[in-house]
Amino acid sequence: MQTMPILTIPAINQLMEALEDFLDKSEASFAMIIDRGGAVLCEYGNIGTSTDTSILAALAAGSFAATKELALRIGESEFNSLHQEGENSQIFMCSVDNDAVLVTIFGPQTTLGLVRFYSARTVKRICGVLEQIHTNPSMAPIFSPQDIRSATRLFDH
Amino acid sequence: MAIINYANKEVQFKVVYYGPALCGKTTNLAYIHGQVNDSNKGELVSLATAADRTLFFDFLPLNAVVIKGFRTKFQLYTVPGQVIYNATRQLVLRSVDGVVFVADSQWEKMEENIESFKNLQDNIARQGQSLDTIPYVLQYNKRDMPSPAPVHYLEYILNNRKTRVPSFAAVATSGQGIFTTLNAVSRLLLQKFAWENQQAAAKQSGTGLSPAPTSLSGIAAASLRR
Repeated sequence: MQTMPILTIPAINQLMEALEDFLDKSEASFAMIIDRGGAVLCEYGNIGTSTDTSILAALAAGSFAATKELALRIGESEFNSLHQEGENSQIFMCSVDNDAVLVTIFGPQTTLGLVRFYSARTVKRICGVLEQIHTNPSMAPIFSPQDIRSATRLFDH
Repeated sequence: MAIINYANKEVQFKVVYYGPALCGKTTNLAYIHGQVNDSNKGELVSLATAADRTLFFDFLPLNAVVIKGFRTKFQLYTVPGQVIYNATRQLVLRSVDGVVFVADSQWEKMEENIESFKNLQDNIARQGQSLDTIPYVLQYNKRDMPSPAPVHYLEYILNNRKTRVPSFAAVATSGQGIFTTLNAVSRLLLQKFAWENQQAAAKQSGTGLSPAPTSLSGIAAASLRR
């Protein structure tokens, strides 16, 4: 089983600071870092309480992966970014590294250009944090086989 | 790829339901979604055609048990089973932690079952992994159809590898075997996660490593013994 480096509390705090700074400067409303398999690594901002970010992440990862395949078919290694525009909201996704994508949601209060400009800087910052935790991996929580066996019901149904 | 988040105290795993077209992958997720309590599930998202054939994937996020203060979360995906969507299946398999292979028990589907299983092996290999190292279980669905192939025949054609994995008879439309399958793959996955981290901890502390299970079935037997 491949495992991403552990997201420690200091690492999460650094990522959240990067996202907070990004939203502050770009005036976007929500940003999250997802892994390319569809899991949320870190999120910040306001998206509405009824929105399930895990579903957003899964759909965004799928969408980004599909466009990567499109790029390969036309001779490109990847499309680094993807932008979708609706009537009131827009979504901008850009590649962080081989494992992560930055997803930004913004409204009419800002522009794509501003979001794109600050996302480039934020991506570098995020890369730095992810590289750091790759280089200095922390320990995962230790579950013993007994811990798992003693969990009588895995799912509440 | 298991995601461990100390800030949220969560461990996330990705499980993919794989199998030939119309074998019951989406039905599995629909049943699970209908049975799990609202507080422990998200919305079931299905990217499908107008004819309800999976086009891209189905997705269902589930909260599972809390172990040592860490909430375990499972993201269940299905893949489109139709042969032409192989590129899409490869995308969905990215970062997979566990697999449920759903086979159609009808006699006329045997060739499709075998092709789909081979396709799974090939797509896992493309990611630099091997099915020997990924926790997976087999589900023999549609046991309620007239004259399904015997389970031992399905075992012979699908579970005849070096490592035999847990297999379960199922009728996805009624729910029979659905949670048994899900629990099995989840426990296998958790057991492997626990073992790998214990090894890493032992290595870091310089203590002797516990003997590795000779096969995943060793973990399977231990986890399913209870």
